Amino acid sequence: MSAPAHEPRPALAHLFWWFMFAQGGVIAAVLIPVHVLIQGILGPLGWVNVVDRHYDTWINLLGNPIVKLYLLVLIAVPFFHFAHRLRYLLVDLGVPAAKSTPAQAIFYGGAVAVTLVTIWVLLTTAPLKLG
Amino acid sequence: MSLPAGEAGRTLSSTYRWSMPANWWTRKRHYFFYMLREFTALPLALWLLWFLVEIKRAADGPASYAPHSSALFVAFSVVCLMFALYHSITFLSLAGVIIHVKFLDRPVPSRLIVLSQFGLWAAASIVIGFVLIWFGR
Repeated sequence: MSAPAHEPRPALAHLFWWFMFAQGGVIAAVLIPVHVLIQGILGPLGWVNVVDRHYDTWINLLGNPIVKLYLLVLIAVPFFHFAHRLRYLLVDLGVPAAKSTPAQAIFYGGAVAVTLVTIWVLLTTAPLKLG
Repeated sequence: MSLPAGEAGRTLSSTYRWSMPANWWTRKRHYFFYMLREFTALPLALWLLWFLVEIKRAADGPASYAPHSSALFVAFSVVCLMFALYHSITFLSLAGVIIHVKFLDRPVPSRLIVLSQFGLWAAASIVIGFVLIWFGR
């Protein structure tokens, strides 16, 4: 029997993207609805006082490093889930090209780009306040 | 297996290429809701990006800071909330299928796992909602 051409290797890239897909799904499921309800509906309608309605309260909260880290997780991580979902939405709508390597690079690269932009926004918007 | 174009006509059978009609998902309720679940990603992604814009606006200083307030934004948020809830309910329900844990050598029933996921969602929503409102004025 001849030796196999390729040694079996753990599919680490596969593991990483599936992990991010699952985590993004959980983060989106657990965190997004309350933000949409309060900051997207109740706040703008004036039914409750919400922190982002006024500059002083909002900038104060945005300076907190824990808030910055939280917002990074809230905004960036779901995009790794969305990237996969939208790619397969295209596949299911009859665009097999969405399975290709360039399409993967575009969609997951997009999630990485959103992560970098979010980090940039969070670091440039409010000065970091420690304590 | 594929045949050269010239030979395809001479043989009785040639490769049958079947492709899924683009509207396959409108034929059954179940398929439709599957596609709807995948589609939830789009409005949620747009909402988060728009939220990021609001965070960025805080860099403009107190005089020009404007939170999202238009009726159109509220309407968009209402639509997004529906999609967000649909994603949450379907995704957290999956936990019962995916997560297998044993307690005292007995498998934890999947209903209990799903219940714990919904409990986590409720607890997180209460804490975040409290922070968003507590620090407001």
